[in-house]
Amino acid sequence: MAILKTDAITMKFGGLTAVNEFNLNVEQGEIVAVIGPNGAGKTTAFNMITGVYRPTEGHIYFDDKKITGLKPHTITKYGMARTFQNIRLFKELSVLENVVIANHLHLKTNLIQAILGNTYPDILDVLWMPKYKREEKKILEKSHMLLEKVGLIDLKDEKANSLPYGLQRKLEIARALATNPRLLLLDEPAAGMNPKETNDLTNFIRQIRDDFNLTILLIEHHMQVVMDISDRIYVLDYGINIAEGNPYEIQNNDRVIQAYLGVAEDA
Amino acid sequence: MKIRNTILTLVSIALLAAFIWYADSNFDSYKIRILNLCAIYTILALSMNLINGFTGLLSLGHAGFMAVGAYTTALLTMSETAKQQNFFLKPIVAPLATITLPFLPALLIGGVLSAFVAFLIGAPTLRLRGDYLAIATLGFSEIIRIVFTNTQNITNGPLGLKSIPNNTNLWWTFGLALVTLILIKSLIDSSYGKALKAIREDEVAAESMGINLFQHKLIAFIIGAFFAAIGGGLLGSLIGAINPIMFRFILTFNVLLIVVMGGMGSITGSVISAFAVTAGLEYLRVLDESINLGFVTIKGIPGLRMVVFAGLLMVVVIFFKNGLMGTKEFSWDKLINFFTSKKRFKKKEVGQ
Repeated sequence: MAILKTDAITMKFGGLTAVNEFNLNVEQGEIVAVIGPNGAGKTTAFNMITGVYRPTEGHIYFDDKKITGLKPHTITKYGMARTFQNIRLFKELSVLENVVIANHLHLKTNLIQAILGNTYPDILDVLWMPKYKREEKKILEKSHMLLEKVGLIDLKDEKANSLPYGLQRKLEIARALATNPRLLLLDEPAAGMNPKETNDLTNFIRQIRDDFNLTILLIEHHMQVVMDISDRIYVLDYGINIAEGNPYEIQNNDRVIQAYLGVAEDA
Repeated sequence: MKIRNTILTLVSIALLAAFIWYADSNFDSYKIRILNLCAIYTILALSMNLINGFTGLLSLGHAGFMAVGAYTTALLTMSETAKQQNFFLKPIVAPLATITLPFLPALLIGGVLSAFVAFLIGAPTLRLRGDYLAIATLGFSEIIRIVFTNTQNITNGPLGLKSIPNNTNLWWTFGLALVTLILIKSLIDSSYGKALKAIREDEVAAESMGINLFQHKLIAFIIGAFFAAIGGGLLGSLIGAINPIMFRFILTFNVLLIVVMGGMGSITGSVISAFAVTAGLEYLRVLDESINLGFVTIKGIPGLRMVVFAGLLMVVVIFFKNGLMGTKEFSWDKLINFFTSKKRFKKKEVGQ
């Protein structure tokens, strides 16, 4: 069953068509990549899927449910999480807080219960614990588990923007995982990483897919990562989907080679 | 650790109560008034910090919310005869003329009314991104002032209200400041508070993490407006007379100054700053009077204290970019660590 399906989505900014009638189909458990030269409309497509932009035309289905035009926070609640091309962590907050915040959408206690629960003195916890505190304890446990998984547990009290670049990417993924997604969208996860980090990342993405039972859709420029990891690849060029297929097919597709390398002037 | 911290907190609250009890009977009325103002400004600064510091919105409507609170509290606590004396140009509307409530319910009603007004302003403007809220709230606080000037049969218009019962005393102001402090601290530490901070840090990321931006901004705005009205009600009852001119933009600015000086996003900073600024402005009054230096007498320049105060503010802004506390908070652990780690440091030196 397709977990994500787009039906000819189009995004126009004034006279510019950033994405033109893009049909995407992602099956449960797959790793699918969207590639293309700079400005091909990859991130725009991501922004439409996650609800940041509303497509000018076309529809998006997540689990066969139409999500076109819904707000990002609602879509996240349905089970879709994302990372950003230019890392968007909560910079001034700690590593742990970054992950804890991503659990907020599933919080069952309401505002009043939360405030009163927090007013309740800690030393009386042994006698009786308010519902909010019990829930918060669970969230903390889960956040610690996630940080352990991505190897950031020792840095949990550091400020997010004090981490090195590669770890910030990992934290962003951990934060996305905290929202309990079924589909994870990664926007250029290997950007700015050195070869060793890139290699780690490939393994890491496979690992989290298996551990968390995820489907992954990613945008990536790093061809080694893409070819290594993807089950299927979509190629965008000037907003148009010019090719689709497994890594082998894409590597040998003439139009893709043209889009990336240009056409020979006289053959 | 937890037990130690709770005991320390309880002891400090007891000490505060003892201080108030002492101050209440031994301090002169001038000092008591300053202390009252300090506590009221603490409430106002905390409420504004929740909106502007923790959620990262720019609201400039505090004077408006305070006006709603002050007028509601005044009208609900004044006696029937006091109201008749006040409204000699135009009689007061029917139900208000006879209602007289105790202080606390009146304050709370003022708060709820102000929260409702905040909902009315916030519902359309908080959906927008950017600084629309600043413009809308600035407009609102001016509009409410003009409305209060012109609704003579409710607010007595430009004449204002006089002989408001002086219910405010140190117990009320410090008690309510403490309650505000505890509630806002609990909110900030909760998951909701963390969501508010996330909105301040990065709206797009917060929304992608499933945080409903509009709903959370509205929560912060409404709670802030509620406590602003409580502060306004206490202030009106402390001074005993209010009029629309009192609630000009400069009042919002004063509170904003306290929040910025203390640190946007620090509860501790707001409390320290509220006391320092309020008391400081009073004690710098010496500068306005003539000063006798023995060999020469400097004539008093009215307003000199404001010049000095502005200078001090500039120093703070230059040397503490994020206010006195930044986003740091006071905690018992930090305080105790501060003392114990110093000792450890000394020991190391000896060892070397």
